[in-house]
Amino acid sequence: MAEAVVRCLRDGRLDGEHAPALAVEGSLQCCPLAAGAMLHIAAAFASLVAAGKAQARGLVVVAFDRSPLVYLEFMRRRGLDTNALDRCVRILDCYSDPLGWKQKIQNQQHQGNSAKQFSTNKENITVYRSVKDVTKLMSSITELGGGFEGEGKKYFSVAVDSISSMLRHASVPSISGLLTNLRSHEQVSSIFWMIHSDLHEPKVPRAFECLSTMVACVEPALVDPVCGESPGNLSVLEQNYSKAKFIVRLKRRNGRVKHLYEDLYIEGNDIKFDSAPSVSIEVNQSLVPKAQFNLELSEKERSDRANVVLPFEHQGNGEPIRIYDGRRSLPEAQHDLSLTAPALVDEIKAPKSGTAKGEIHYFRDSDDEQPDSDEDPDDDLDI
Amino acid sequence: MAAAGGRTLGRSSFSRATSNPVTSSYGAAGVKIGPNGAAFVSSGIPDLDRILGGGFLLGSVVMIMEDADAPHHLLLLRCFMSQGVVHKQPLLFSGAMKEPRLFLGTLPAQVSSSKEDGRHRAMGAAASSDGRANDEGLRIAWQYKKYFGDDSRAEHKDNKQEFSNDFDLRKPLERHLLNGQNIECVSIQDADSLSGLQDCCSAFLSKLPRKDAGSLTAGRIAIQSLCAPQCRYFEKDWDMVSFIRSLKAMVRSSNSVAVITFPSTVLSNSFCKRWQHLADTLLSIKAIPDEDKDLAKLLTGYQDMVGFLHVHKVAQTNSQVPVILEASTLSLKLRKRRSLVLERLNQAPVDGSSGPSSAASSSCSSQGSQLDF
Repeated sequence: MAEAVVRCLRDGRLDGEHAPALAVEGSLQCCPLAAGAMLHIAAAFASLVAAGKAQARGLVVVAFDRSPLVYLEFMRRRGLDTNALDRCVRILDCYSDPLGWKQKIQNQQHQGNSAKQFSTNKENITVYRSVKDVTKLMSSITELGGGFEGEGKKYFSVAVDSISSMLRHASVPSISGLLTNLRSHEQVSSIFWMIHSDLHEPKVPRAFECLSTMVACVEPALVDPVCGESPGNLSVLEQNYSKAKFIVRLKRRNGRVKHLYEDLYIEGNDIKFDSAPSVSIEVNQSLVPKAQFNLELSEKERSDRANVVLPFEHQGNGEPIRIYDGRRSLPEAQHDLSLTAPALVDEIKAPKSGTAKGEIHYFRDSDDEQPDSDEDPDDDLDI
Repeated sequence: MAAAGGRTLGRSSFSRATSNPVTSSYGAAGVKIGPNGAAFVSSGIPDLDRILGGGFLLGSVVMIMEDADAPHHLLLLRCFMSQGVVHKQPLLFSGAMKEPRLFLGTLPAQVSSSKEDGRHRAMGAAASSDGRANDEGLRIAWQYKKYFGDDSRAEHKDNKQEFSNDFDLRKPLERHLLNGQNIECVSIQDADSLSGLQDCCSAFLSKLPRKDAGSLTAGRIAIQSLCAPQCRYFEKDWDMVSFIRSLKAMVRSSNSVAVITFPSTVLSNSFCKRWQHLADTLLSIKAIPDEDKDLAKLLTGYQDMVGFLHVHKVAQTNSQVPVILEASTLSLKLRKRRSLVLERLNQAPVDGSSGPSSAASSSCSSQGSQLDF
């Protein structure tokens, strides 16, 4: 159930390093599932925080896409009671009145009535009205985060839902700056956000991927080969709205990337994850353009090679020449060297007492032949 | 023609006449004179120097394309900066961070020469002296002598050790080396435009003019993550390209090297191509997947690899001969988890038992001369 990801977020940051960051990327074809994945991760994380198992003491949700009540309701359904919610979750509501228009209208209508009737300040929901001001957003988040109670170091985590909506009001550098500052803020334990990749130029979600330590892509289960956009094939659409692939890339500290694959689907009111059946991962051929064969020898191979007795008369160690003729007969003292010399190219002879490793085995084709006869086998032919 | 380990890089029968061809091979500290009037400084990684044909060319701009998934560009940058500090070369560092000075604290220290390193060096020297003994045994026609690489290898062994050092990535550089040094740090995160950085660079480079003698101090410029998304000038594409062009012009007429790393995925395709085209030497980092069985079967030594390094372009000066590399993809490994080693990719034996990878640190150097085909 996206556990690896939630575990990383739960463990939080190590001393002297930046906080881990998760980027959840969705696309238009599986939009509700991506949103569901975000809700699931937030709820799972909140339950860990409530149970005291996480480094953070609380979670601050910056809600752009949905009303804060949706989050609270989802978490309640996942088993968090009101008490725990009040203790561990704060929501910065950028959904109800992001640019402060409603308040302006209110103030115009009730001139003189300075009561802020709009701030439904429940315990844990704070309305935020100036989303264009990213610096103010940063300070609001840190303010909310500092307000969690508990012992130990004051850590809190941040969830941003979603960056795509933030990008309507602010620029990429300012939001990247906000995320980087949050990551390096000493009280932030972990941070995760959601972005819809196809709503922006391709370089924008990649820019946010650069800032993250984990990337989770929610991809449609079936891709309509004809045309991804027009609702030609309803069954594909239906499938894509109920199932999706959840692909996670974890960037490890040694620079290697771990890939995890899961399926996610909607069941009733809830989101469930399933470990994926065997996924065929092709070897990325472009990664390895030219791999050489290793022609070098290891120490063992080198010593083995030195031990092999070569099929020349001269072994170079001053011993008398012994030539093995394949019939296990006693070694003769001397044979005609002239006979053996030309045949050496074809016949490989091995010493009777071969050394332990370096041996060349040769088995004669037939034992009927006279040894070393210099008969031309073609002599039999009558031409 | 038998060449020791691919040393035909950049060799032609025309070479610019320098005053003392052999004795002034090593000019100022850390500068090596090469053929065609080229001067090199070390990149901090001996393997990379060898692959690039001597090191980073003075007067060139080296660009490193970062991979979003792996932080290895920082390793290359750190070795480059440490090498400059060790050789007491002036350094200008700029990064997309609030406090660039803090990055200096992560620079690695030189590897303390231990017995084993001494043995490796002795092996290397022995191989080269064998080669020279063979040379004397054979009578080589004089015109081929120039293909035999660094003849001064054995004589100037001490100097060569100084030109390029191994760095221990686990130990930080000594404080006193950093304090007594000409190091400038500039932050580009909060800058609205790159003109501030451009002024810093031009002030820095005006102190390092290039003269023909080639024995003046060499300077280094290191810029990290030039187009990082959190920089305020991030969306001004043309401004960034103009900055690189002006930096390239300034560096070309001065005695220094600039190394710029940038996350290439963050730029649009057309601008990424422009940036790549502006580089004199272009390297890129690629992350490798973890626990990938297919890659493990394909390559030896997969467990030790931390990433791939592609060499796309190598700078060449005063010559029409391009640099053609034997292998453009190399694997990054950490030898004993502390120093960075680049190796060629070797295919694993097909029967499944992983073949033993070469025990020596660099695959093509010391033993390579004995296995020439």
